[in-house]
Order: sequence, then C-alpha cells, then structure tokens
Amino acid sequence: MTEPLRFEGITLPGHQSPMNLVVPEHRAVLVLGPEASGVDALPGYALALDRPATGRALVFGEDIARLPRRSALAFRRRVGYLPAGDGLLHNLSLQDNVALPLRYGSDLSEREITGRVRIMLTLLRIADVAERRPADATEEQRRRAALARALAFDPALVILADPFDGLTHRAAAELLELARGGETGAGSRRTVFMTGQSVPQLLEPRIEVRYRLAKGELQRMS
Amino acid sequence: MARSIAWLGALARFLFQTLEAARWLPRAGRRVALRVLLKQVWFTALQALPIIIVLSSILSFLVISQAVRELGRLGATELLGRLMVVAIVRELGPLLTALVVAGRSGTAIAAELATNKVMGEVNALEGMGIDPLHYHVLPRFGATILSVLGLIIVFDLTAIFSGLVAAGANGMTGARYFEIVLASLTFHDVWLTVAKALVFGIIVGVIPSFHGLAVHGSPTEIPVAASRAAVGSILAIFLCSGLFVLLLA
Repeated sequence: MTEPLRFEGITLPGHQSPMNLVVPEHRAVLVLGPEASGVDALPGYALALDRPATGRALVFGEDIARLPRRSALAFRRRVGYLPAGDGLLHNLSLQDNVALPLRYGSDLSEREITGRVRIMLTLLRIADVAERRPADATEEQRRRAALARALAFDPALVILADPFDGLTHRAAAELLELARGGETGAGSRRTVFMTGQSVPQLLEPRIEVRYRLAKGELQRMS
Repeated sequence: MARSIAWLGALARFLFQTLEAARWLPRAGRRVALRVLLKQVWFTALQALPIIIVLSSILSFLVISQAVRELGRLGATELLGRLMVVAIVRELGPLLTALVVAGRSGTAIAAELATNKVMGEVNALEGMGIDPLHYHVLPRFGATILSVLGLIIVFDLTAIFSGLVAAGANGMTGARYFEIVLASLTFHDVWLTVAKALVFGIIVGVIPSFHGLAVHGSPTEIPVAASRAAVGSILAIFLCSGLFVLLLA
C-alpha cells in the first residue's frame, strides 16, 4: 500500500542535508521546528506549491510537481489543505469560503452543496457566524472555517500548516479531532500531516508520530 | 529598453496563459467564474454609470454648443454630425470611457489581486486545486470587456442626447439635429467603436491582473502594483487609440 505522503531527499531552505519522512496511513504526524528550520516549507513541497532544491514529495505515490498543471490542480483536490494563517478569501463569507472548492471542483447541485456546507459548519460549530466575512470573525472562527473548507471533499489526507497557532488548547484539540475524522474503527481515520513551531501539551497524546526539525535533520520525539 | 521588452514578453505570456486556461475551465468552475464576473460587472460597469453619464453630458454639451454657434456663423452646420460622430462617438467616447475604467477599476483590480497574493489567498486557492487564473483573472477579463463595451454605448448615447439639448439651446431643431447626426453615422464608425471597446476592455482586464499577481508577498508592493497598473493601462489605451487612428480611421 502506498503511503499517503512521503518526502524523499528533500533539502529545506537554509540547510544542506537532505531529509526523508514517511507519513503512514491513518496516523497523525507532526513536524515541529523553529521558524529558521524551514519546517514551514514542507506543506508547500508536499502540494508542489513550491519546489525544493533537491528531492521530491510523493502524495499517494504521485509527484505532483511532475504532473501537467491541469492534472496537478485536480490531484490537489484529493488533499485537504489548511495553509498557515487561514488563506480564506476575504471578499467571501465564511460559508461561501467553505462552499468554494465544492462549487469549483464537484458536479454537485447548489442545493447539495448548501446541505454539505451546512453540515460542515455545524460540525465545526460556526453555523451561527456563517454569513460573516473573515474580517468580522474571530481568529478561532476563521481557523474553523478554513478547516471546514479543507475537509469539504472528505479527503483521505489532510495537510495542516501551523494549525494551532493562536488557539486555546481546548480549541486546538477539538480541531485536531475533527481533522482526523470522528470514527475510530480500524483504519477509518484520516491521515493528518502537521507542521508548526509548537504544539499544546494537551495534544501530544493525540498525535502518534512527532518529529523535531533541528539543523535540517529530523529527530523523532518520544 | 531590454526591461521594457521583458515586461512586454511577460505580459504577452500572461495573456496567453489566461486564454489557454479558459479552454480547460471545469464545467463546475464556470458557475464560480460567472459569480465573480457578475460582481466585477457590478463594480466596473454599473457603479461607474453616474460618472460616465456626467462626463459624457458635459463634454458633449460644451462641444456641441460651441460647434452650433461657430459652424452656424460659417453656414456649415451639417458638419456638426461628422464632429459628433468622429470626435465624440468614435474617438473621445471609447478613449475617455476606457480611461475612467482604467483609473477606477484597473487600480482596484490590481490592488485586490495584490492583496490576495500578500494575504496568501492565491496560494490557498492553488492548494485547493483552484487555478487563480480561473478564479481571479478570467472573470475580470470578461467583465472588463463587457463593462467597457456597455459603458461606451452609454457614453455615446448620452453624448448624442446631450448634444440634442445643446443644439436646441442654440436654436437648432431636434429633427434637424438627428438628421445631421444620423446621416454622418456609418457602419465603419460602429464597428470601429466596438473594436476599440474590445481592445480597451482586454487592456483594462489584463494589465492590472498581471501587475496584481506579480507581487511577491510584501504589503509595500500593493500600492506599487496599483500604480503600475494605472500607468500601464493608460499608456496602452493611448497607444492603441493612436494605432486605431493610424491604421483604421
């Protein structure tokens, strides 16, 4: 079985030694590192939004960077992506932000999209602020909306860049659980790959594999 | 010089990529693009109507008032029609409309796209598998073409009716005014005006989008992008206007 995400010989900005990392299926994997470690570059490399100096990233065995542009865009829709900050479009309401990938990349009717969006907003507990623009929402509400958008297609792999920055421990734990999916049956949870500078202590037991990035090298944390 | 050529090359490549992207816009994506296009038409065309109507009315009233008096003294009032059609309907109408749209919407498009880029929205779209050309550029491209065409029609119609008021105020009957103006209007004038609308619409759609998406991520680049978009669009509109006169008038 192909791993959902694999980094092979990737060189991070400012470092020379290549790093390898495998994200196993149905696991939550976290890579921590200070800003200068280049850890922020990993999500971009995974989705081929940026190119590493050396190495490659494989998503479900596919190197997105080598795909033609049209196929690369279609392939990215199989992955849930929460960029650092939130990446919400500021001229759309929170609910329109969540609906955007469905409207663009699916053949669902507007009624089906509205229903799906309502479910996502309720799940993320932002249904009451759905019509607000991002500028009128709190940081936590924006992060919840961005996660709802990332989960809109119910992807098998979710990539979260700095997802807990500025959140309370409780909100961070809730978002992680939602990102992983509610079911706990064998192998039914999503694969989640996260990067960041720190993680709330409350979350540590919920993340199966944790690494620390120091001087361009990955060290597995106990 | 080399920098200007490189800029033109990059702009041409951007235009080509945009047109190329239109070929594979997903069916579902067309709904999304249409929403953005309608919003842009609302801002670019409908909200610009008052300024276009005021500008056109005043310009036409002033020109026709003077012309009726001066041409009347020379006994050449029939030249009024050609003056209205060539100077206002065919030349100044498209030129001034395009300049208004470039100044008003071109800078807004550049600033908006530059802000989107700086705020990471363009990167987020790419990450979601949405082509920014489909979401940001194509709808604005279509909207500016439609808006410039629509506004030029409004400008020209307003100018003709404002001219009627001016002619009436200077002793000319409405029937005589329309007889002179309509006799001077040819099919060549109409298609030239439409051709200008298309070209100016493309300019106002592409140059601001190009500059807006060319920023790298610093907020200080946003006003620079807006300024470059305005200057580039205005320059291109004047150059093309000159080319139209040289080649087709």
